[in-house]
Amino acid sequence: MFCKWESIVLSIGIIMEEPLDLIKLSIDERVYVKCRNDRELRGRLHAYDQHLNMVLGDVEETITSSEEDEETGEEIISKRTRNVGMLFVRGDIVVLVSPPLRTS
Amino acid sequence: MTLVGKEIAVELKNDVVLTGTLHSVDQYLNIKLTTVQVVNQERYPQLTVLKNCFIRGSVVRYVQINPGDVNTELLQDATRKENSPAVGGTVSEAKK
Amino acid sequence: MSSAATDDATKAPSKDGNSAPEQNKRSPSDFLKAVLGRPVNVRLSSGTDYRGVLACLDGYMNIAMEQTEEYVDGQLTSKYGDCFIRGNNGKQCLSERNFSINL
Repeated sequence: MFCKWESIVLSIGIIMEEPLDLIKLSIDERVYVKCRNDRELRGRLHAYDQHLNMVLGDVEETITSSEEDEETGEEIISKRTRNVGMLFVRGDIVVLVSPPLRTS
Repeated sequence: MTLVGKEIAVELKNDVVLTGTLHSVDQYLNIKLTTVQVVNQERYPQLTVLKNCFIRGSVVRYVQINPGDVNTELLQDATRKENSPAVGGTVSEAKK
Repeated sequence: MSSAATDDATKAPSKDGNSAPEQNKRSPSDFLKAVLGRPVNVRLSSGTDYRGVLACLDGYMNIAMEQTEEYVDGQLTSKYGDCFIRGNNGKQCLSERNFSINL
């Protein structure tokens, strides 16, 4: 089923041998990064390393927080968004990275 | 390429944001800042007297950089090189 | 309930190894190799589930998946074409059960 070095060919037709290859393919592309504490980033990937430290450009950060309404006890979910021109992200807060959707 | 001497804003995992001039960075991404100012002084009055500081790398969440201080083309090339099968440097080295 | 794929991945190699006890010991990485290219469910310590096709993984348990669906509290919250999940996020389990219906 697989080549002997256990790489597999993605639907986009590029050989991927290790998970970080997926990120290498996303350099200079806009990526979605899910971070701890309900933070999400969208930005252009300029650099990364094996710890997932990253440098993103034209970043939009969305912070989702939920508070409980004191009167009704209802959970209120609020989203705050801010834009940052260039951001270094420390890898240890990164949960998930997703490249832009490719049209195959 | 270096960010030493440039103005940066360091956002910590406890939401404190410190702006200042980058004095130095080491292999752990520990950061030394000079001419420090804390953002949101009303909330962190105890930090207003801070002038120079050392920040342990592990408590950093983000570092906001002035886009004009970064050559993104060089950064991307350095990243491709580093993550190619041949052994390369690190992102932090590329920044220096 | 487990799919036919589960049975292949977990039982077929042990049948081969029945005669020699050492070969019967299958390491966790052997299991993971066996599920490459199969539908998996990855649960993070946060409780979030990621269901998709396991593309590859490395020694840090970084995971690359395709056609991934994100489930929070059992609710589908997003979809990703390809996605990279960082290791060391305390993944509780990685299984491929109950996917004969879902995927």
